[in-house]
Amino acid sequence: MTDAASGAAERSVQVKLVLLGEAAVGKSSVVLRFVSDEFQANKEPTIGAAFLTQKCRLEDRVLRYEIWDTAGQERFHSLAPMYYRNAQAAVVVYDVTKATSLEKAKTWVKELQRQANPNIVIALVGNKVDLVQPSQPSSDSVAVDAEDEADDATATPGENAGSTSGEAESLRQVPREEAEAYAQEAGLLFFETSAKTGEGIVEVFTEIAKKIPIDQILASTRGNAGRGGAAGGRAGAGQEGGVNLQENTNKARDACSC
Amino acid sequence: MATISTHLRNFKEPTREQLTQLFFALPPDVPAGEHARGAGEQEKAKAGEQVERMEINAVLSLGVQGIEDSYAGKLHLLPPYLAFASLDRKSVRFTIPLCTIRRVERLNARAGIYALSLSLWHGMKIVVQLTSLRPTADLFCSLLRDALKAELQRGQMKVVKGFVKTCYSEVLVAESDEKDGAKPPEAPASEQESMYLGGLGLKFKFPGDPKKLREASKTKLWTTYLKMHGRNLTLLRYPQCTRLVQVGLPNRLRGEMWETLSGSLYLRFAYPGRYERILEENAGRTSTSTEEIEKDLHRSLPEYSAYQSEQGIGSLRRVLQAYSFKNPETGYCQAMNILAAAILIYMSEEQAFWLLEVICDRLLPGYYSPSMHGTLLDQRVFESLVQRCLPIIHDHFQQVDVQLSVASLPWFLSLFINSMPMVFAFRIIDCFFCMGPKVLFQVGLAILKINGEQLLQIQDDGGFLNLMRDYFTRLGESAHPNSTDPRARAITRFQELLLVSFREFAVITDDTILSERRKYRSEIVHSIETFSKRSSVRNLKSLGRFTKEQAGFIYDALFKAVCVEPPPAVSLPPPSLLTTKDGQEERPETRIGLRTFRVFLSEIATWARDEKIVSNGFQQRVDREVADHEMIDRLFFFWDTSIRGTLSFQDLVSGLDGVMFNDLMENIEWFFNLHDKNKDGYLTKDEVLTLSESLLFIFRFEVGDAYLGAVSRFMSNAFEYGDALLPRPEGANPEDPPPHIESNQPYMNLATFRMVVLADEILESFFETDFSSTFRLEPVPLMDLPSSNNGILGGLWQNIATDDNRKLLYKVSDEIGRTIGKHQVYHRPAIGKYTALEEPKARESLIMPTMRRSASKTSLTATDSSASLSSATLATSAPSTLSVEKQASTDVSSVEYSPMPTMFQAAAQAAAYMERTPFAIDDAKDIEDSEEEDLDVEDDGVMDEVDAFLEAHDSGLTEAEREIAKALINAEPVNG
Ligand SMILES: Nc1nc2c(ncn2[C@@H]2O[C@H](COP(=O)(O)OP(=O)(O)OP(=O)(O)O)[C@@H](O)[C@H]2O)c(=O)[nH]1
Ligand SMILES: [Mg+2]
Repeated sequence: MTDAASGAAERSVQVKLVLLGEAAVGKSSVVLRFVSDEFQANKEPTIGAAFLTQKCRLEDRVLRYEIWDTAGQERFHSLAPMYYRNAQAAVVVYDVTKATSLEKAKTWVKELQRQANPNIVIALVGNKVDLVQPSQPSSDSVAVDAEDEADDATATPGENAGSTSGEAESLRQVPREEAEAYAQEAGLLFFETSAKTGEGIVEVFTEIAKKIPIDQILASTRGNAGRGGAAGGRAGAGQEGGVNLQENTNKARDACSC
Repeated sequence: MATISTHLRNFKEPTREQLTQLFFALPPDVPAGEHARGAGEQEKAKAGEQVERMEINAVLSLGVQGIEDSYAGKLHLLPPYLAFASLDRKSVRFTIPLCTIRRVERLNARAGIYALSLSLWHGMKIVVQLTSLRPTADLFCSLLRDALKAELQRGQMKVVKGFVKTCYSEVLVAESDEKDGAKPPEAPASEQESMYLGGLGLKFKFPGDPKKLREASKTKLWTTYLKMHGRNLTLLRYPQCTRLVQVGLPNRLRGEMWETLSGSLYLRFAYPGRYERILEENAGRTSTSTEEIEKDLHRSLPEYSAYQSEQGIGSLRRVLQAYSFKNPETGYCQAMNILAAAILIYMSEEQAFWLLEVICDRLLPGYYSPSMHGTLLDQRVFESLVQRCLPIIHDHFQQVDVQLSVASLPWFLSLFINSMPMVFAFRIIDCFFCMGPKVLFQVGLAILKINGEQLLQIQDDGGFLNLMRDYFTRLGESAHPNSTDPRARAITRFQELLLVSFREFAVITDDTILSERRKYRSEIVHSIETFSKRSSVRNLKSLGRFTKEQAGFIYDALFKAVCVEPPPAVSLPPPSLLTTKDGQEERPETRIGLRTFRVFLSEIATWARDEKIVSNGFQQRVDREVADHEMIDRLFFFWDTSIRGTLSFQDLVSGLDGVMFNDLMENIEWFFNLHDKNKDGYLTKDEVLTLSESLLFIFRFEVGDAYLGAVSRFMSNAFEYGDALLPRPEGANPEDPPPHIESNQPYMNLATFRMVVLADEILESFFETDFSSTFRLEPVPLMDLPSSNNGILGGLWQNIATDDNRKLLYKVSDEIGRTIGKHQVYHRPAIGKYTALEEPKARESLIMPTMRRSASKTSLTATDSSASLSSATLATSAPSTLSVEKQASTDVSSVEYSPMPTMFQAAAQAAAYMERTPFAIDDAKDIEDSEEEDLDVEDDGVMDEVDAFLEAHDSGLTEAEREIAKALINAEPVNG
């Protein structure tokens, strides 16, 4: 509507992103790593869904991710549409040490492709690669203590996580090639990550940002006063005229520079 | 993979009796009338032990002068319990096991007054004045006597003493008595202490600062209360009890009070040792639930030190596993780990196990079930309450498209534990166990109301969640930081929240919740079913040539069949054999057996149902029955390609795909294969006969002899051609009789079969189009044809809601129809192509004309097979057989049909209408709060907070009645 809005390169674009995947594959951990660069060994299961935001700078654009981290247990499945409606991006997570979690991921992809926003950008993410990487004890890379190791063992029951480097590769149940081929075929972005070490996390969100049709979102939110950017503007306008843009970019706490 | 669950459909509203039982928190399967009823002989045999239930009007007085008012209410004898509720159902109530009653005396009182004095185990005395008519009171007394005797015989009286030792309240009272010197201590308090059950908090500390929580004075207040009003099994709940709960239970007493207030105490009392037994019997067993539990053990309140230790984790594991073993349908749902972890801080494993049972079963029914229907239902109820109580907020949410449940769902699902700081959540939980699930709604509404102004500013779900998160982190701050009044400044935001909850939303009662749940249940069930239908269709490995809609229809037919004829439950091997990881899936795929399949097929194939069109002068209707024929069973096994004896949704879709899109040749082949049992490419002679029978079965209701003729020609041709085409030994004389073939030996191959079929015009056209079109992916219409609406019963049809009524009405009108000679029944044909007694001529044989013995003599032409039919009106009563049938079969698709959901809805509405809420409460009194009562206690502010919650409690008695009740306290027992 206003020329100022369309002209401003610094304008932040809201992108609604939803995380889906089997229970305990590490969805919340991936988000936590991305939003505050932390890792918690024992993350409580998500009940319903959690909501977080994170800003991203991509070239001259600022993206504001609104992240919906959902509950993974099968019976929460019927709640998911509530969270993925209107989502522009989805991260479907599986656990590389658990073959069934890829199957679950595939059904999510199928559901998203049929049920969600038709232009949704979907990324398939195989998490916990730190568990299948040979050697370099992970305690070097991040501040991890012995107790942490023990906890990981319970995080993925059935496998002995506290294994030696030789055994490590055998923990892998989903070969990278297999998942990648599937992702290619289904038209998904593909990554392997570790929320624990941080490997690959930022890339996920950066690549998604590149693929999101930002101009389209801008155009649509400018036109109708629906969700997205325009909404934030209205909230700001309630108090202080037109400082909304300024206010948004000054929220240093949220900002990241990826 | 499709998992079809119809149990949501089968939901029955609780009866009044069940509601009473729920209200008094009685264990569900303790010898209520429930079991014995209906089981004729058993009932008689049991009649001796079966003690009757009864309720009676009564006035309750505490046997000590001046402590509590007397209250009018109802006394319920619910063996093995005695229960009381004041008229408003909330001021005063109790549920006491009969075995805690040590003495019952009839009091010597003024003429016309009938009063009993009950002495309880704890030495407490209560007086109940039975105010019903004398004979009623007499009956009640004699029933009470019988019930008490029965308890004595069961030896329950002795059990009490051991049981109460597990309760901390006993320690509190004993210590206090010791201090007062009232009683010489039986045993040093320290020794007793080791007996009572407690939670992890005893070792790992309770959350919160005890000083800030004012533990000492709360404990003191409770000790006083428990001394006077009974405790654990004998607790009487007077208004003061609720008030003390509202200011927060002291940590050490909390676990026990939770189980007493929620009634899980009665379960633990009724089933001693059960918890341990469940664990023993299932030791080493794994299941989907146990796997999911393992995943979450370290993810449950991880910040609390007990859950960083093996002791805490072990307790949590055992409680969750025991629950999942006991309730395999519910199993384990995330959020239960958080609940269990929370309550284990305050109570032992056994206590937590029973409390979890009460939460999941009674307080939050269906919340944690695989469909989570209870959660969804209560979210819907909450939304409707917001709409009603906070319309402005509701409208705003609608306008900016914010969904309430993105925030509220976790509140309800984990009782606020992971939404707000634990110390506050626990206080809400205190109230929840004391006042019931309505508390969650009241608190939820209060949260929205308090944040109302900011909520009107939010623009999206995210904003809503952020605002809520912010609010919860600041609950400990002053609600009025800028007030000049120090008392006002001292009120925290959390206190404000409770005040608003219980004052402004006192209008939300248990009955409100019940009736709202009734209102939205069918809507929720419908949306859950739609959802599982959608995902079942989506998850099909192959749709075949069907569209999604068509597959959806197949699903509907399957669903209906499963409703009508539930497949046998998947029986699990005994636990001892279940040690493999892949023991059971959380929701095993639904697979149907033959019986369900017959119903399913009758929904789709016209020949798989027997339809009689009945007209009796008042109505025309279709009576429909599921057909039963070998052909159907054959089809079942034909489609069971994985040879499991059951069919899945995918099997059905693939099976139908294999027949519904066939052309002439494919149909012939399909039919051939269906009857070629051993799949060797040959039919035996027996199989040719069964095939002919199948054809006859399909044609059984067709008009005229055309099909009959076709089948008989088919048989003769089959054997003629068959014999002629049999391989002969080389050099044999073609005139010789064919070699003899046993009836179960390979006889006819597909090519021959095809030839035989094509030799007959009727069969050819049957395989070309008619057969495929007997499979219809469209809803089978309701039983009624549009009624003529004339005659005395005309308008009645629309008003008949239930199937039973309908059947009755049919019977009556048939009866009348018969007497007035208007009752006619016709079978509806599966194909319905021929409308008159016509028979098409047999085709000139394509091969070996010499072999054709006889052609049909009559040469009539086949009528047009197109579906377009003349539009005769049904209103006129059928002039001839044929027009009725025609009309019926064409109307089928256009009749306004009503598939199951609507029927269900109608039934639910009817039920809702008939069932009036049994107890109407006058809420108006509760809203105004009078702050007159007071108590003198230490001046540390606890009572200030208590005062804040004072509500008027109506004893329901006049001044004079109150006097009488008071006098009774000092009355002497009747001699003899
Ligand atoms: N070794 C390792 N462990 C991880 C990684 N990501 C998550 N975890 C652990 O896996 C467990 C589950 O992580 P969450 O992030 O809570 O999983 P989730 O997918 O959000 O689970 P739900 O909320 O139940 O659906 C936790 O114990 C994490 O510490 C990872 O990259 N490497
Ligand atoms: Mg999570």
